[in-house]
Amino acid sequence: MNFLDVRRETVFLLRKKSIALLLLAGFLLASFSVWTGSVDVAQQHQTIERLLVGDSVDREEVTHKHHDYGYIAYYTFHLTYAPPSPLAFAALGVRDIYPWKHRVRMLALEGQIHESDTPNPELALAGKIDFTFVIAVFSPLLLILLLHDLRASERAAGRHDFLVVTARTRNSLWPLRTAILMVALWLALIVPFLLGCAVNGVGIVDVFMISAIVLVYLLFWSVICYLVARLAFPAPVLASLLLGGWLLTTFIIPAVGDVVIEEAYHGPEGGNILMTQREAVNDAWDLPHQVTMDAFLETHPQWQGKTQTTSLFEWKWYFAFQQVGDEKALPLAIAYQQTAEDRYRAAGYIALLSPATLLKRALTHWAHTDAPAAWHYEQQVRAFHAELRQFYYPFLFNGTPYSEASLADRPVFTPYKNTER
Amino acid sequence: MSDVVIQATNLSVDVQSKQILKNISFQVLKGEVLALLGGNGAGKSTTIKTFLGLMKPTSGDVSLVGVSVPTNPDVVRKQVAYLPESVMLYGHLTAIENIRYFLSLSGKQKSDEDIAVSLKRVALQSSSWHQPLSGYSKGMRQKTAIALALLRDAPILFLDEPTSGLDPVAIDEFNRLINQLASQGATILMVTHDVYGACHVANRIGLLRDGELVGMFDAPAEGNIDSEVVHKAFSQGSEA
Repeated sequence: MNFLDVRRETVFLLRKKSIALLLLAGFLLASFSVWTGSVDVAQQHQTIERLLVGDSVDREEVTHKHHDYGYIAYYTFHLTYAPPSPLAFAALGVRDIYPWKHRVRMLALEGQIHESDTPNPELALAGKIDFTFVIAVFSPLLLILLLHDLRASERAAGRHDFLVVTARTRNSLWPLRTAILMVALWLALIVPFLLGCAVNGVGIVDVFMISAIVLVYLLFWSVICYLVARLAFPAPVLASLLLGGWLLTTFIIPAVGDVVIEEAYHGPEGGNILMTQREAVNDAWDLPHQVTMDAFLETHPQWQGKTQTTSLFEWKWYFAFQQVGDEKALPLAIAYQQTAEDRYRAAGYIALLSPATLLKRALTHWAHTDAPAAWHYEQQVRAFHAELRQFYYPFLFNGTPYSEASLADRPVFTPYKNTER
Repeated sequence: MSDVVIQATNLSVDVQSKQILKNISFQVLKGEVLALLGGNGAGKSTTIKTFLGLMKPTSGDVSLVGVSVPTNPDVVRKQVAYLPESVMLYGHLTAIENIRYFLSLSGKQKSDEDIAVSLKRVALQSSSWHQPLSGYSKGMRQKTAIALALLRDAPILFLDEPTSGLDPVAIDEFNRLINQLASQGATILMVTHDVYGACHVANRIGLLRDGELVGMFDAPAEGNIDSEVVHKAFSQGSEA
């Protein structure tokens, strides 16, 4: 096989209208997905910008209106967020299912986090048509259409034997045609992606890695198509075989896997956590202050001797029972997280049977839009909320006179750098 | 050194448990034209496909210039030009584009002049050279394929019903071309059921019947052939 072979087959194949149309379809699909992904990511950035401005305005208003640490802690919202990575436009991942922004207050946190449940999104492929979806789901379909009748069509036209006998080497015909069509499809899909990368400021390493992953994925399907196309069956039979395999691995296995995982891994629901925490908080209103404070001191012994109250409502008691509410919900929150991680791990095993799911996991992992990225953000929120408590508790429990200047040291949420790449 | 170019030795080919060729042996010498005659299902095309490496012998061997075809198909194909009964070149390409494509596929490069000369040799009208083959008649497509075979400069030619679809004038032209190629040293194995045509171009004629080589004789001078020979070649069904 030499350059002349490659040029001959490339010119020959691209002159076929059916091939040109399929490649155009791939290019348009990829372009559409890159465009919608870029718009989605831009909207997320705009939302963050808008919320940051609003957050700042709200905080100033609260600061001017109230002159008490308790009121300020209660009324002030703090924006936390996980900005989309530059690569998120290509792999929106689970950001439409897991929250990527919370405006948290000093109140009990777990209820704020678990306002909604998160299922196994990595197995639910029928989602947004982002670049990952186009590659994982549509590209094998395009390859099947391009390659299934590679030989069958020539056989049907009575040209197969003539081509085989005429070809200088075995590799200069069928393998070469397969390779050219695969590379042509890869280019049709990857060019819009590269434009999207340029617009979204994706780093060269990410560009290279994603391009390589997509190429490997297409190579995998090309080998499957090539091997099936060798069978001496009519083109419709070969297409049915390949489409059956595509359907099985892309939709049926993930769907069945989702059901199996749901049945196999049981854990608390987000609503349970929310209710447990709220009930603990609500019950506290009817309990003697000392009962709440005793529970609080078990985890915060440093405030021993500073928890006595002299009136029916005091902020330190209020925030103490918020803390206790969180602590009561904590075992459920841990179990919830453990279940989510177990399901994610099991979904990883299912993905070994579903190349499309495996690809989706790889791309969303690389784009920091997968479930572990969302959990990481949750942990950031918890850590930030703990910082807020550490900041306010000394003022509340020591009875420090209010000073607006002290608020300059109040924690500010800093998004994790990895999400920005 | 032997002049044997094409050789079948005790060749048997089974397809789906059915024996298509039954222990046939023959040789074709350099510059010789051998025509295998037989009716439908006699095993003519199977013989050619086995020499082309498209089918494998169940037993026995086929070789070209001493090289076994089943074990070295790529090596021997480089020396072979093949003309199927009804070659379907690409309909969306013109005659010249088809020829260029298949020449390149075989690793040959020819000038425009060479291609024009070849197309003239097969008497394909020059006005059609740049027309897509989808508008060609069967005879015109066959002429294009013959031109391509000539351009391959292959020392060995396998022709499967080569004159099928050609008009009488074109058949005559074709026969002259074959004789010319043979006189230049090409070795040719053709299978046909056209007894009279075979007598005009072949040096020897083999009779295939029900997968067996039942006879081999020199082609009669002047193309005259005994009607008994014709009967033997095509009466397999009625004699069974």
